[in-house]
Amino acid sequence: MMSPVAECLIAFVFGSVVGLLVQRSRFCNTAALRDAMLFKTFRNTKALLVAMMVLTIGFTGFISIGAGNPMRFDVGLNQVLGLFLFGTGMVLAGACTVSTWVKAGEGNFGAVWALLFTFIGMFLFSLIWSFLYWPPAPSAMTGELSLERLQLGFSNAETLQEKTGIPAIVFGLIQAAVLFYIYQAIKRKEAKQQGSAGVESI
Amino acid sequence: MEFFRKTLDPVIALSAIAILDIFLFLLVGAWTVGGGETMMTGLIAQFFIGDSINQIPFWQEVFKPDAGYWKIYISLGMLFGAIVGAVASKEFFWRFPKRLSEWVMITIGGLLMGIGIRLAFVCNVSTFFGLTPELNLGGYLSMSGIIAGAWFGSLIYKRVLEG
Repeated sequence: MMSPVAECLIAFVFGSVVGLLVQRSRFCNTAALRDAMLFKTFRNTKALLVAMMVLTIGFTGFISIGAGNPMRFDVGLNQVLGLFLFGTGMVLAGACTVSTWVKAGEGNFGAVWALLFTFIGMFLFSLIWSFLYWPPAPSAMTGELSLERLQLGFSNAETLQEKTGIPAIVFGLIQAAVLFYIYQAIKRKEAKQQGSAGVESI
Repeated sequence: MEFFRKTLDPVIALSAIAILDIFLFLLVGAWTVGGGETMMTGLIAQFFIGDSINQIPFWQEVFKPDAGYWKIYISLGMLFGAIVGAVASKEFFWRFPKRLSEWVMITIGGLLMGIGIRLAFVCNVSTFFGLTPELNLGGYLSMSGIIAGAWFGSLIYKRVLEG
């Protein structure tokens, strides 16, 4: 068991390296989705897919041998609705959770403003939650399907391994293969775009 | 130093982040930002309204304000790392949104992000760099939500750009 101070230190060092790498690479999760949809450019989308492939193999590999700290909480309709609002918001704000911190570190006051209103949005939701008590608080989660609470329960690589007896890495490799297929499709699309641009310039 | 003069390939940057995230997953848990931001919100609210925060059930039952919550320090670290990168590469300078429409979009966008994170219990980072690689059902639900939301946001964004 790690001490809370050690946890905070590790988190800070991790965050610092991430902040530096994101700042130097100009990676943006918002752009990974928005640019692919609006402008058909995939610079950030490809990076996101590669990271997801590495993570899928790494996480499921370690879960297979009983290591790691996966997230455990019930999921349901609130994830779809919440991330729909988030996805709309990040495109409007021009930054996601990572790029607001990184752009703020570059002196972008718009990002600071977005962060401020993210905090205000969170506080407003805390008031709404205190009235609705939905989605269920962690202490009220059961891990089971609950239609009246619009919750599907809990399922991840660990539970898949337990239920099927098949190592989690097998499912991880399947997911990584799907992500790789999407990555390759994007590369083919880019090659086609470059090809047609070349013909136009001739 | 070359690193601060050229833009880094995002595939290389994200691959390095992914490997570090695997170590973080083994030590404490996968990379996430929304949880730390929520705790910061609670601490800021506590600073302004004091013990009255105890009368809001959310801050008792879901997120009890605690400055020792490790996820806060990921966000503070990202800010620090970005400042170091921007200063060392001479890319730090104050920028302000120029048009009123930008201020309005950022304000609404920020609010939606905050409400969305708390409604979902996850943010985009947990979705793409935590839940989905853990094959968590919540990751696929969140991905469907964020892709639909980004598409809807893009329609609005396009309209504002054209208008």
